[in-house]
Amino acid sequence: MSIADQALTEEMASRRDMIVCRGVKKWFGDFQALAGVDITVKDREVMVVLGPSGSGKSTLIRCINRLEVHQEGEIVVDGVEMTNDMRNIEKIRSEVGMVFQQFNLFPHLTVLDNITLAPIWVRKRARVEAEAKAMELLERVGIPEQANKFPGQLSGGQQQRVAIARSLAMEPKIMLFDEPTSALDPEMISEVLDVMKDLARGGMTMIVVTHEMGFAREVADRLVFMESGDVVEVGTPEHFFTNPTEERTKLFLSQIL
Amino acid sequence: MSEVTLPAAQRAPEAESVSPGRWVRENLFSSVSNVIQTVFFSLVLLGLLRWVLGQIFSEEANWTSVATNMRLLFTYNYPTEQFVRIWFAAGALFLAVGASFAAWNLNPMVTVRRIGVAVVGTGAVSLVVALISPDTTPSAVRTGFLAVGIGLVVLALAVLKVVPEPHRRQVPFIGMLAGVAVLVCGVLWFFPFGDYGFADGAPTAKSGTIDSSTSLPVTVMFLIMIGTYLAGRALARVIDLGWLRRTMIGWWVIGPAFVVFLVLRDPEFDWGYVLAVDVPMGAAFAVGGAVLLYLLAKPSRSDLARVIGALLVALALFHWVAAFFGWYPMLQKARFSFALVAVAVLLAPTFAGERAARLRFAGGWFGFMVLFHWLLTGINTPSTLDIAAPPFLGGFVLTVSIAYYVMLASFPLGVLLSLARTSKMPIFRVLATTYIEVVRGVPLITVLFFFSIMLPLFLPGGMGISDLAAVFAGYTVFSAAYMAENIRGGLQSVRRGQYEAADALGLTTVQRTAFIVLPQALRVSIPNLVGQAIATFKETSLIAIVGGFDLLRIANSTIPNQPDFLGQKRPALFFISLVYFVVAYSMSRASRNLEERLQEGQAR
Ligand SMILES: Nc1ncnc2c1ncn2[C@@H]1O[C@H](COP(=O)(O)OP(=O)(O)OP(=O)(O)O)[C@@H](O)[C@H]1O
Ligand SMILES: [Mg+2]
Repeated sequence: MSIADQALTEEMASRRDMIVCRGVKKWFGDFQALAGVDITVKDREVMVVLGPSGSGKSTLIRCINRLEVHQEGEIVVDGVEMTNDMRNIEKIRSEVGMVFQQFNLFPHLTVLDNITLAPIWVRKRARVEAEAKAMELLERVGIPEQANKFPGQLSGGQQQRVAIARSLAMEPKIMLFDEPTSALDPEMISEVLDVMKDLARGGMTMIVVTHEMGFAREVADRLVFMESGDVVEVGTPEHFFTNPTEERTKLFLSQIL
Repeated sequence: MSEVTLPAAQRAPEAESVSPGRWVRENLFSSVSNVIQTVFFSLVLLGLLRWVLGQIFSEEANWTSVATNMRLLFTYNYPTEQFVRIWFAAGALFLAVGASFAAWNLNPMVTVRRIGVAVVGTGAVSLVVALISPDTTPSAVRTGFLAVGIGLVVLALAVLKVVPEPHRRQVPFIGMLAGVAVLVCGVLWFFPFGDYGFADGAPTAKSGTIDSSTSLPVTVMFLIMIGTYLAGRALARVIDLGWLRRTMIGWWVIGPAFVVFLVLRDPEFDWGYVLAVDVPMGAAFAVGGAVLLYLLAKPSRSDLARVIGALLVALALFHWVAAFFGWYPMLQKARFSFALVAVAVLLAPTFAGERAARLRFAGGWFGFMVLFHWLLTGINTPSTLDIAAPPFLGGFVLTVSIAYYVMLASFPLGVLLSLARTSKMPIFRVLATTYIEVVRGVPLITVLFFFSIMLPLFLPGGMGISDLAAVFAGYTVFSAAYMAENIRGGLQSVRRGQYEAADALGLTTVQRTAFIVLPQALRVSIPNLVGQAIATFKETSLIAIVGGFDLLRIANSTIPNQPDFLGQKRPALFFISLVYFVVAYSMSRASRNLEERLQEGQAR
């Protein structure tokens, strides 16, 4: 069994592959950020990526929706391989939601417009329909009353929840989270994590880069530990928190826990 | 748009009033060095003011040269019987100002104390002028300043004494405006300025008040503005404010074009030609294009739209090739319209959507084409601006028209250039950078000479360009380069995360640029763009050198050559400086307000 498929239950192994990375390598100039990453994410799986700063976690998930371009290896998302054909890429991107550490809401648009922009212009939805859907999503993340405010008037936790709603409005098959709670004050972290747990329970396929170990233990199907652009270890939360195999994983976990 | 109006109770109260004596002591005479500085700079200021007054009231300065030529300075040879068009245009402007004030409820409260202090200040300046003006000043003028100064100071001090708590008592801005309007109109109607003009080429002067053909329209203008404001506020309770705001924004975008056309078009407009050629062509492009775009803006027809768009681009390019070889004649605006249709078709997949979106897209095209042909017909139909000398358009109206048209035309050009310069495609980058650097390395006057003298020589036979159109084209080419640099500054301020978020949602490059990047970049560029608008407005004075009769040329050479005012430059030059200043200063104030409002909308 390859490292990519380690620790899969039989039921999971039988599911469809949503994301497959095979030998993905990426250089920034002379610096190698990804040194041949192998990962498979199954349908409805939640995968949490751990690793020290600079280990290539962000680079990996940014390669998956092609915000970064990898140089070697292959990435297949929902059966489509990432290549240089632009139209293909936009299609994939509209199926893959991404939530950033810095929220990246559009400051000149209201919360409602932030959420409806892509459904209207990319999915070609009618505005009324898109707005109804947006209100539904705001309801779900718990801030329907903020619909007509601008992002600058919201708290960090509220902004991140809007960002999640914005991604969900595209009805993506996959959600990528890059340290979604790292820029938040402690009292706001749980409101965002709650939304994410809710999503995971709803069966969304997710890759989450985070340092929130409680979240990882509770929600993740599998954990991935990366270092220096390499996948060091893949396993279930139980395996990671009780008995990790690799010395480097042990060291990292002892520092963070 | 969100409403972030604080209730009155939460506004910070204006600071308790400080007595004038204490303010002077604390700010002007607090220490020895402060005293010395105050005295020194007051003396310098007074000296300067006295010198300026000396220039204004010198025996050599004949101010009747300005008074008599008022009409020339503002409208040059514009036919008197057509003035109603200019007043109509001004009326439309005042109407729009009033309606906008109502739509955004721009009615800040001003405290009685601030008004009082401003009036006392004006009175004091008036007194100082009366006291230090040189001996050459006519005694009536001196007495006038003295009387006005004393009157204002006494009145304002009395009001401040009588009204309890003047720093709390507030007057709505619109009330103040009404007061000012009453004052201005009263002065216009009743003050004996005298009435100046030319009769059979010789200056005439009547004593008495200004002719009612001036004071009546001005009064009506003010009435329109205040009336529209009040009507708008009354209606605001009934109608949807958002709708009013969108209407007003639309009006400010296209309204000026309408107004300028009203003023600019040739009085001897060849209606037969317009109806036979211009109108059908405009209608054909507007309707035909709209139908084509409606059909192609269906998400399932994206590929078809790209193919047709590419074919149309080829056709449009071919029209220009044909022009240079003289294969078949065609009006320039038809060539431009073809190119625009091609671009719009290429954009169709981007703006495609369900029925409402397609209708909006096609409707947008229709409106744009109507406007485009309307403007071109206004300035470039064979009958317009080819009129034999003397040119009918000049003076302040020409200055404003050129500045407006140049800004309007160079804006889209500048946006495209700045996008090309920051694009990832090397060919665009190189072309745009070359264009921008070449144009920025050449003085405006050279560009204007090139376009007005050289360009007609290079044009193939059958293609002509009127003087004014050449100046306009040259100035636009020049202005677009600076516009591009100003907008590029804004583009660079948009954070990388914004691009990434847009990409991650699956927006195309065009959508990302139109909906995310440009709106943010342009907001940041507003101060620079207004700066450029002001510069453009002032530098229209260069068109004098290539033959236009703008404000500067009239003041500097037309008036001093009139037999009755030989050599009289000073008064007119003073006067036009004042006109330039008032317009430029208003623009910069308006932009500051706009910036503050925009920041309020999206406080970060
Ligand atoms: N655009 C870039 N240009 C050059 N080097 C980069 C770029 N982006 C990332 N890197 C480098 O690649 C390495 C991996 O970066 P990455 O952002 O993926 O790390 P990370 O695991 O997400 O770290 P963190 O926990 O700090 O977010 C780092 O050493 C980083 O300096
Ligand atoms: Mg990171």
